[in-house]
Amino acid sequence: MFNRSMLVFAVLIIGLALAGPALAHTPLCSCYDNGDGTVTCEGGFSDGSSASGVQMRVEDSSGVLIKGKMDEDSEFTFDKPSSAYKVVFDAGEGHVVEVDGKEITE
Amino acid sequence: MKKAVVAAAGFLMALAFSVPAMAHFQTIYTPEAALVKGGKIPLALVFTHPFEAGHTMDMGKPEQFFVICTRGENKPKKMDLLGTLKPITWTSLTNSGAAWETTYSARGGDHIFCLIPEPYWEEGDGFYIKQNTKVIINVGGEPGAWMEPVGLPTEIVPLAKPYDRWTGNVFQGQVLFNGKPVAGAEIEIEYMNHKPLLDKKAFAKAAAAEAPQDAFVLQTIFADVNGVFTFGIPKAGWWGFAALDLDPDYTFKGKKCSRDAVIWIKAVDMK
Repeated sequence: MFNRSMLVFAVLIIGLALAGPALAHTPLCSCYDNGDGTVTCEGGFSDGSSASGVQMRVEDSSGVLIKGKMDEDSEFTFDKPSSAYKVVFDAGEGHVVEVDGKEITE
Repeated sequence: MKKAVVAAAGFLMALAFSVPAMAHFQTIYTPEAALVKGGKIPLALVFTHPFEAGHTMDMGKPEQFFVICTRGENKPKKMDLLGTLKPITWTSLTNSGAAWETTYSARGGDHIFCLIPEPYWEEGDGFYIKQNTKVIINVGGEPGAWMEPVGLPTEIVPLAKPYDRWTGNVFQGQVLFNGKPVAGAEIEIEYMNHKPLLDKKAFAKAAAAEAPQDAFVLQTIFADVNGVFTFGIPKAGWWGFAALDLDPDYTFKGKKCSRDAVIWIKAVDMK
């Protein structure tokens, strides 16, 4: 019984974490095509705190293409890959945002 | 007796002419205050009577129109937008007036649009009106410095995030003149009752709400001793707050000029 309620609780917590918004401290990441062959991602948290230093990865189906981190303005700019890609904003467990390259527009 | 009747009639006529139950409102209109994704957004600057989509006044070239972009803990950036404005003619339900439009590319965070218009001569009232106006929109949900004063001479600073209000929430703001709270400031409130149709540069004919009596067209509240006011939002959509005559001795071209502070916020239904 105890184990079961623990499990339910854990699932609930994971569900919340996946659901994203409505947590006090939600990671946020949006990317924009700069129109010059580069992409800029802006990161942060829903409470307005900085994402400076957060690990950033650009990945395609074969693995990591580019690794870096958010600069002091919580921005990360990279050369747009020619193949299908995604951007991963990784601020630690439960604070990961993935952005599909297909959804990145000007 | 006769004289008294004439006087009373004269008084009533004066009342009828001088007290239309609506207020002038400078607007900075864009359809959404809380955008999911960035991109190009339209803006229209119209000086009008929003509840009734009534008489729209001719705007001169604004003195200033700019945006403060602020995201997270980044230093706010100011960008001049005056040069991007294009003159348009805006059609109300009763007339048309000179207005301005532009488009703006927004990325994440808060975008605080600020307008300092040229004073408007109001013949009916015999004084100028100058409504410094502020609208705050957000892209993506990451807040910026929406709660900080921009430093306009007359300004309403939101005490509640202006783009996250559900219908039924309260909105609180503080009225400032030269950065100092204005105790007891009078605030007029109007609802954007006719949808602005940006493609037609006109208000929609259909009204969202009907006022049962003239008092409801233009609501009035007063700020407390700290210049703070509170308003419960009864309906989704854009609401305008105008704090009036914050510098009673101010004149422009030798005439009285009412220096007002306006802010618009948008509430959304919970569903």
